Amino acid sequence: MSRVDYSARISTFAIIGKFAIALIAVVVTQGILSFKFKVFGYFDLPLICSVFYGFTLGNPIASILIGSSLGLMQDSLSGAVLGANGLSKTLIGFFAATAVSKFAVDQPVTRIFALFLFSIGDGILVTILGLMLNSAGANAMYGCALSRWLLSATFNTLLGLVLFGYHDRWSDART
Amino acid sequence: MSRTVVESKKPVWIVLTVALVIHTGLISLQGRRRIDTSFVRMWILDSLAPMEKLVDRSTHGLWSVWNGYIALIGLHGENDRLKRENDALRMQIANEHESVLEAQRVLALNGLPAAGMGRTLVARVIGRDAGRSQTVTIDKGLAHGVKPDSAVITAAGVVGRVIQSSNFFSIVQLITDSQSAVAVLLESNREQGIIKGNGGAILDLDYIDDDNALKEGDKFLTSGMDKVYPKGLPLGTITSIGARRGLIKTVEIRPAADLGRLEEVLLVVDRPQSSEVADPTFQGPVLP
Repeated sequence: MSRVDYSARISTFAIIGKFAIALIAVVVTQGILSFKFKVFGYFDLPLICSVFYGFTLGNPIASILIGSSLGLMQDSLSGAVLGANGLSKTLIGFFAATAVSKFAVDQPVTRIFALFLFSIGDGILVTILGLMLNSAGANAMYGCALSRWLLSATFNTLLGLVLFGYHDRWSDART
Repeated sequence: MSRTVVESKKPVWIVLTVALVIHTGLISLQGRRRIDTSFVRMWILDSLAPMEKLVDRSTHGLWSVWNGYIALIGLHGENDRLKRENDALRMQIANEHESVLEAQRVLALNGLPAAGMGRTLVARVIGRDAGRSQTVTIDKGLAHGVKPDSAVITAAGVVGRVIQSSNFFSIVQLITDSQSAVAVLLESNREQGIIKGNGGAILDLDYIDDDNALKEGDKFLTSGMDKVYPKGLPLGTITSIGARRGLIKTVEIRPAADLGRLEEVLLVVDRPQSSEVADPTFQGPVLP
């Protein structure tokens, strides 16, 4: 193997490793914060992360894989149906990445709409799948589902905007 | 913002289809219950939960230092108050002890087995699901003897039951989860009923034999009829009674355990057979 191939492979592994660590950190942080602060139960860090990587990478394949992994880890740490969040975050990752070529995703208005709609969509899809399988946590149809979706979407949008803002500032500083 | 739009669309659709098929497959397998998918959850839980535990231990350590050294203002006064409270409780226990001994003698005379909690295990809550489900993660699993449906309690009352276990960690469904139901009896008149979670902070009374005698402040205990929770554990207190909805009144119950501040919990991993089912028709021994 030539020296160039070897270093390229090392570099690829390093990037995948960094991504894996970041994704695990997101899911673990979500679990810990929701446990320590009840209000954090309304946030969905894996969702924000899926949208974030979709927008910043603009690569549908990577975004699908990231969303899929995040969702699967999220499902495993909760009592939810295994695959429900995986399916939802996969679609979110894909749509976020494809939106890059169609919309100006660096505009705050676009980000607000995207985060809000993705959050609502995620809530509806995961709840419906949960209800279909009668899983733990499928608490729709009890009057609180709609208000929870809206609250969660608002929180996710606000946090997402802050994180995107930090990313923009950090990118500008590097360039 | 950096953008690297992929040129060819074909691989994207293939990857998307594969990912969707995998997740749909996982979901449908759980629906039909033909193939056990819990091994996937076990692997991921065993891989991720140690990190969650590590972070939890670190924050807990920092918190302990703060609580143990810095936040000790007013400790002397509180200590005096607790000593007085302790003395009062000791006297109360001494009085109750006689009643317990008497009850044990009556049970022995009638040949009835003594009810007990069974083998218990202390576990630490290391995470909470942020999503829509009311679940927490604890640091005990199959290797420690935890089984699905093991009851989880605190000194204050019932917390929930284990729904998923990996080798070293378990997921506990809280009683407030909308899919949770507990068989209960009213402390005052022993009426049997069922209490369900609704996904919020309170519980709903789903069924009771007779709801006419219900009043605010009444306490519900577990009846043991669901074969999950041992009999006699505090479950919750009635906070409001509304209009009749269908057959029974709308009754809201506040859980006895503070489910928002769980740290250590007790797992009932091995219940004695005698306490599994309480006979509701038992009226006492027939005297000659």
